[in-house]
Amino acid sequence: MIDLPLLGQEPAQGAAPGKAPKAWRSPEAFRRGQSAEALPGDAHEFAADAAAAPSQANRRQFLQVMGASVALAGLTACRRPVEYILPYTRKPEDVIEGISQYYATAMPFRGVLSPLLVESREGRPVKVEGNPEHPVSLGASGVFEQASVLQLYDPDRSRRVRRGDDDSSWSNFVQAAQSLAGPTVVLAEPSSSPTVARLRTQLAARFPGLRWVTYRPEGDDAFALATTALYGRPLRPAYDFAQADVVVSLEGDFLGTTDTNEVANARSFAQARTPERGRMLRMYAVESHYTTTGGTADHRLRLKPSRVSDFAAALAGRVGVGGAPAGPAFGGRDAAFLDALAEDVRGKRVVVIAGPTQPAHVHALALRMTAALGGLGTAMRLLDTGEAAAPPQGNDLAALTNAMRAGAVQNLLMIGVNPVYDAPGALRFAEALTRVPVSIHVGHHIDETAAKSSWHLPRAHYLEAWGDGRSYDGTLALIQPIVAPLNERIDSTNPNEPARERDDIHSDVEIVNLLATRADAPGYDVVRETWRTAVTGDFEKGWRRVLHDGFLPDTAFAAAGVGAPGAGALPIPARPESGVEVSVRLSPRVLDGSYANVSWLQELPDMVSKLVWDNAAYMSRATAERLGLAVEYDSGRYSVDRAELAVGGRKVELPVWILPGHADDAITVEMGYGRQIATTRAVKERPGLLGRFNTDFKTDMYWSGPLANGVGENVAPLREANFAPVVTASVRKASAGYTLVTTQEAGVGSDMNDRPLILEATFDEYRANPAFVKEREVEVPGGGLWDEQEALWGQDRHPRNQDFYKDNPYNRNQWGMVVDLTTCTGCSACVIACQAENNVQVVGKEQVSKGREMHWLRMDRYFIGQDQDNPRMAFQWLACVHCENAPCESVCPVAATYHSPDGMNHMVYNRCIGTRYCSNNCPYKVRRFNWFNWTHTLPLQVQMQQNPDVTVRSRGVMEKCSFCVQRVREVNDRVTIEARGIREGEVQTACQQACAAGAITFGDLNNAESAVLAAKRNPRRYDLLAELGTRPRVSYLGRVRNPNPRLEPAEPKADVAPTPATERDDIGGSPDAPATNPAPAER
Amino acid sequence: MAQLFPKKVNFLPFLSLVGLGLGGVLTIFLAWYYLSPEFTDVGYAPVQPVEYSHRLHAGQLGMDCRYCHNWVEVSAHANVPPTQTCMNCHNQIKTNSLKLLPVRESWATGQPIEWVKVHNLPDYAHFPHNVHVAGGVGCETCHGRIDQMEVVQQVSSLSMGWCLECHRQPELYLRPNDQITTMGYVQPASFVERNLERIREEGIQPPTNCSACHY
Repeated sequence: MIDLPLLGQEPAQGAAPGKAPKAWRSPEAFRRGQSAEALPGDAHEFAADAAAAPSQANRRQFLQVMGASVALAGLTACRRPVEYILPYTRKPEDVIEGISQYYATAMPFRGVLSPLLVESREGRPVKVEGNPEHPVSLGASGVFEQASVLQLYDPDRSRRVRRGDDDSSWSNFVQAAQSLAGPTVVLAEPSSSPTVARLRTQLAARFPGLRWVTYRPEGDDAFALATTALYGRPLRPAYDFAQADVVVSLEGDFLGTTDTNEVANARSFAQARTPERGRMLRMYAVESHYTTTGGTADHRLRLKPSRVSDFAAALAGRVGVGGAPAGPAFGGRDAAFLDALAEDVRGKRVVVIAGPTQPAHVHALALRMTAALGGLGTAMRLLDTGEAAAPPQGNDLAALTNAMRAGAVQNLLMIGVNPVYDAPGALRFAEALTRVPVSIHVGHHIDETAAKSSWHLPRAHYLEAWGDGRSYDGTLALIQPIVAPLNERIDSTNPNEPARERDDIHSDVEIVNLLATRADAPGYDVVRETWRTAVTGDFEKGWRRVLHDGFLPDTAFAAAGVGAPGAGALPIPARPESGVEVSVRLSPRVLDGSYANVSWLQELPDMVSKLVWDNAAYMSRATAERLGLAVEYDSGRYSVDRAELAVGGRKVELPVWILPGHADDAITVEMGYGRQIATTRAVKERPGLLGRFNTDFKTDMYWSGPLANGVGENVAPLREANFAPVVTASVRKASAGYTLVTTQEAGVGSDMNDRPLILEATFDEYRANPAFVKEREVEVPGGGLWDEQEALWGQDRHPRNQDFYKDNPYNRNQWGMVVDLTTCTGCSACVIACQAENNVQVVGKEQVSKGREMHWLRMDRYFIGQDQDNPRMAFQWLACVHCENAPCESVCPVAATYHSPDGMNHMVYNRCIGTRYCSNNCPYKVRRFNWFNWTHTLPLQVQMQQNPDVTVRSRGVMEKCSFCVQRVREVNDRVTIEARGIREGEVQTACQQACAAGAITFGDLNNAESAVLAAKRNPRRYDLLAELGTRPRVSYLGRVRNPNPRLEPAEPKADVAPTPATERDDIGGSPDAPATNPAPAER
Repeated sequence: MAQLFPKKVNFLPFLSLVGLGLGGVLTIFLAWYYLSPEFTDVGYAPVQPVEYSHRLHAGQLGMDCRYCHNWVEVSAHANVPPTQTCMNCHNQIKTNSLKLLPVRESWATGQPIEWVKVHNLPDYAHFPHNVHVAGGVGCETCHGRIDQMEVVQQVSSLSMGWCLECHRQPELYLRPNDQITTMGYVQPASFVERNLERIREEGIQPPTNCSACHY
């Protein structure tokens, strides 16, 4: 490879030696920016071994085999392989081959239903969207909803009833279930299902003294505990941020993917943060881990969890709520933050939201502050869920495991839970489980708990079963199956009488019904029986209406008629002794591990750390130094230490990751990793010597069993029996040299290099000059500002005026997109939505480490600011920006990438010969190359998810965002037949459809009425790297923040003027170094 | 030293040069022809699991194409009919025919009949039937005289050049929409003018860019 100096590598772009970068992607990048040092390998746009040979074979062997292959292939290549058409025998009504059908259903998620609309092709679900008519989703969805369709096709889901270690059958279980007796306990996932509630009373009638324990692996719902103490019953918060002036988050991750109302929160938050509306919510975040919610905040303070509680008490004291502040007084930056916040909330409508690491008394304090500051009843409503008050589950679980050990539990039914894996280590649940004579596990996999239970019942996926429940706001909704349980066997030994032997897969409703009533009834009947009371009027008519809509309108919870809370009596947990506070959280990607076997989610970069295929112990730089833990970086690769975290003799070993903005003396770990799932699928051995040309084992995620196995570490052993989200651990270095892989490391393209990629302004600056993006605009090489140049879709250069395209029908529409960086929360639902829609393949940890990930759409995360430990965060959606003047097109020797008359940049896969020149020439680094044939190693069942409208790419071709051209062409065809034009909003891209914040606008620039044209005319609009003259069709709206002037004094253009190097000489020195930032409030 | 080659072989180098040139041209020509779908695909008439005769059904009995391929105007796929469609008639007619045994078996067992795909476009090419039918492309235009085929065979190459012939000059191929399924349709003398007028009126513009079909 020839090493040429890279353009822009010179300090001419503003990166003066010794200057800390304004925006940076990792601590390593910060360090390098500071020392103006480029590590070998980093100057290249791609990872060092991006083009490494795929197998161990040497060149001579390779040529021998290839020669033989070509000769053999030549003999057989006279005709294409024969394909078959298998029509239906009896065609289902309404099914038209080639046309999608949409069904309303809902996905159970942490005790609420997420309303959905599922796209089905010839009977198989291929894509999941939010239900556009449902008030909670309004068509949007989150990462888990998007990924749930792949969960359906998980080849490792169990399919047979198991008794002990042997296959059994459903009929055997039915027999056994009918004779069950004795003390019975149900350990169930949180459920909002009225059918389950109904069956629960019947079950209690059959088993006197039945105990029903709701199990949340992450710990108690602290808000429910708080409202129980304050009002006597659990209430649920619902936010309308548009009515608030200030939001204070005390570890509250309400915009995170694990929140049960994330979609509605993100939408409401976006509405409150749209600067065009003339007012803007201000948000403060106080947190230990850096979450996307904290990244969205205007001001953020990092404190370890126990100090966040102290901060809550201190803030409560300032606003006249609660008693004396606890803990040592705050000083320095923390005190300045507290002072400014306390002053800012005065006289304003404020919502204070406490988060999962905080005990119930802090939630109560937050609620009382909200009430005192006028937020209660307006911006925050309390919904009456009608649930009974539940004591903290730690007591229940401790009592249960004790009873199990004492042999006082005869039957244990575990529905949708996996306590052997995720129950706190201190409970020693696995050992107690062996003492239970009849333990019945209902789940998707033969997982850790199934392996130790006497019965395992394969559970139907929500897309395969009948069910019901309530969405977050309480609206009753139905779950209807889109497909019969997969792998249903049809026994056709007797052709005259087809005996359909159902597989053993059943839903939770069916299983509970069997146990409660002894009758093996289909879920359809069981659910309908419940709904007879819910549907008024003609039942059949009403039922069909609910099936069609997906929900029963006007059944939302009423707002609880409660006043301001008094001072409830809630226990204040003891202050942790010395040691590192380890907070255990649900993973934003695989939740509690129930999504761990979904390859899309394993490869989804963490929203903040951008790590894939691992969980890590997140900590601050100072903490890592103090503990003697190191993260080494070399040529795009991270080699990190592994830390041993020990609590009371229970130990967990995790790789270390230094996260800027993480609180000191605290570590954050995520649940859901280190799974051990058994599969009944035939798994393959790694090929031996003869298989050295077989690279399948490198490209097949499913090669050696469930893909979740061996990924990351289980953190449950660390936890205390009371499910406390924070434990105090002792930490030591265990080993070194572990490889962690991130997606935002290698390549110049993913660094800002001081280029103005994200343009920001404060709300005050925006009001003074809405077109603030123009001030910082760089000149286009050809002269003039980019904005002054005529758009290519303008009259003269419109495709309809050009010879080649003038007769093409598509030139009537000119597609464009605008992404609002102000409202984007970085939740990455768009990334998974794109993956589901466009058959984007998963490549695995090793391949990602070589920069071979395939995501068409990536969510770049930048740290901003010169204070390395307290940076701000910004997200940037980035996919192909469909340049009108595209650098990729001019370098393709075979014209495989070209411009369509409707203004999209396209890849023609069948033309591509894989030179990768286009990728090299793309300044946005959004092109992805197929180094392997990823699809051909996919299990057939997983291939069933793939979108039949999108070509599956083969090895050796380039691919990238297509603006969802298949959706555009479908509408093109429709309007041609109907002889009309495309209506506004008729085409939605997958990312746009998923986005709850409405940050993505897509549409026809030729349509004067279109939202995208209005967005393009927004003064905040700018184009990425416009100075290159590429004229992207994807524009951004500049990010507007609303900082408190007291914490961040207005500094006009301070961040464009280069700051003298001397000012930050001591950054990166000792962690106790005094504040050095020129902006005093930042530190 | 004596001359190794007599003078009369002096023309050989010249001849071999000419031969090489001609041979090259011939090779190109042969590859051009024999590797093209024109040669490899046209005339492909695989044996089907059921001896279904289009000549009988579409020809002699005069059934409309859309009796079986009923979603052709709606969907991108011109569906192959379900067994049910066969049984509409054949539960009354020829109920004991041996040729229909696979159909009755399929009906009884629920197992689909495995028809062999004749017109097999590559997966990276998308062809919507509905738009073409609505735009006045007859079945016969691409599929030939199906009504005369005992066994269906491919009559068009389905190569990209073949597609573009029509996309560039649709006026040479279109027919009135009430004649879409007509077999052996004879265009009137003034059909080009008629089609040009229709193309103007309805704004028919067949796209010729890559991503019209490849995505």
